[in-house]
Amino acid sequence: MGNTAANAPIRLLISQSLATIARERTVALLALLFLVLVVVAAYLGWSATSTVNAIYLRSVDYMTAQGQTIPSNPVLDTSPLALLRNMATYVSLIGALAAIVVGHQLIASDRKAGTMPLLATRPMRGIDLGIAKAVALVIAIAALVTFAAVINTATFLALPEFRLDGAGWSKLAVFYGMSGLYLLVFGFLGMWFGAAAKSETVGLLIPVTVWLTLTFVLPQITSNINPVAALNPVSALADAPASAFFQVTGWALGPFSLAEAYRVISAQLLDFMPPTYVDRVAIPAAASLLIAAAGVGAIATRAVARMDMTKGDYDA
Amino acid sequence: MNTYVVETRQLTKRYGDHAAVKNLSLSVERGEVFGFLGHNGAGKTTTIHMLTTLLKPTSGTALVCGKSVTDQSLEARRHIGYVPENVRLYDTMTARANLLFFARLSGVENPDRRIDETLDFLECRDLAPRLVGSFSKGLRQRIGLAQAILHRPDVLFLDEPTSGLDPMGIKTLRDLIVRLNREFGTTIFMNTHLISEISRTCTSIGVLNQGELVFRDTIEKVTERYGSESSLEELYLSVTPVQAKGAA
Repeated sequence: MGNTAANAPIRLLISQSLATIARERTVALLALLFLVLVVVAAYLGWSATSTVNAIYLRSVDYMTAQGQTIPSNPVLDTSPLALLRNMATYVSLIGALAAIVVGHQLIASDRKAGTMPLLATRPMRGIDLGIAKAVALVIAIAALVTFAAVINTATFLALPEFRLDGAGWSKLAVFYGMSGLYLLVFGFLGMWFGAAAKSETVGLLIPVTVWLTLTFVLPQITSNINPVAALNPVSALADAPASAFFQVTGWALGPFSLAEAYRVISAQLLDFMPPTYVDRVAIPAAASLLIAAAGVGAIATRAVARMDMTKGDYDA
Repeated sequence: MNTYVVETRQLTKRYGDHAAVKNLSLSVERGEVFGFLGHNGAGKTTTIHMLTTLLKPTSGTALVCGKSVTDQSLEARRHIGYVPENVRLYDTMTARANLLFFARLSGVENPDRRIDETLDFLECRDLAPRLVGSFSKGLRQRIGLAQAILHRPDVLFLDEPTSGLDPMGIKTLRDLIVRLNREFGTTIFMNTHLISEISRTCTSIGVLNQGELVFRDTIEKVTERYGSESSLEELYLSVTPVQAKGAA
């Protein structure tokens, strides 16, 4: 009973925060764009596979007529999960940006509304606000990922030639879990700087710069992946040159190269990992994401709890 | 029994080398309408921010209804209502939705009924279904006052409540403050730099100059001693000499 009463402000703040960001047009547009791209990813995967299958069937007719030996269907040799490999790119690009905006807006909406002083004079702890915003972010990201999962599940169910077994469905579920974790890192970054920055522009610019660094700059230093290659889910997993420099940077900076970590996890779970790929990072990719999400989450929650509540607005 | 609703001892707030509030020792009794007078930048808002738990003092103590604003801030907040200088609410929500949110956050039981009662008291029930974003400054201030008294606080802190209001808005708000004090017994702690506000609304006065309390008395005694509102102005200028000379 006591706990229920103590949690009442948190629950109230969570529902208020979610209702407020649901009314934000930028958040809605980015979320919609992400979901459209999820559909596109599913379509592209299906389309590419269908093309290969159609070519294979024609070749079979031709080779049968020629009396040649028929090779196995390459489509059936590939895991149906690889159909979704473009998802990994969309999550790390538009998904991460959407997460930053959601995290930022969770704080900015209150700051712009100027209601912080009114919130902070209610009988609740500062950390309650931080926890409420963090939980609201987790719910928003979970909703985004769940929508993506529903779309992709529907795709698999609609394509009879791609049957997933129990292990396949489990891997797909874990992929969505890891995608959510990856998006949370950026959502928490948005929340952190939404609370800590003095101006709204800076509050958005810093997380976006961090995202650019993690997605395009760090992979270049750790694995010699140029920015264009980083946009390709498969080429981004090419082996780094066997020089001492990349051996050291890959090992030492690899744990911070979250975009790479996410691609490695995606490749493992969606079965598109090149067979020759060697992971040289000091800690497992999943551990990198988990530590980053927990660490940035804790910092963001604390930043919200310690915000200057006297100010009604940015730069007020 | 301690009748002080607000009690500060040596309360100080420093920003680097600059002391915004210096060793403020002040007490406000239950039921008072206390006017905190001072020039812009005198430290009035900083004081209110400390008393409403928004800002941690550098040193000294402050009690609101016997609860320390630093060590018992949660308990202190149950006793306070706060209306900032520029009341800001969620513009995309109706007045009722805003009030419902703040009432629930304050732990008000049966919030819908309390909102109706509060809006009736403030004579603005017709505002309930309207979006706050469409409100004038005066109407916004009225809903701001509503959110601050929903939980029937013991003490209401008002920071320059009439700032930016037209004469009619000022009169309406002034009447509401007086009624609130009389009907609910709410202690009022009001920041202002308008002497007319003090003479027409307050029962006691404190003057802050460059972060220091330079005058404190009841309006009754001040009027007895100095007479009319213009004399109150002279008193104010005489106890705030540095700023007055600077301004002149």
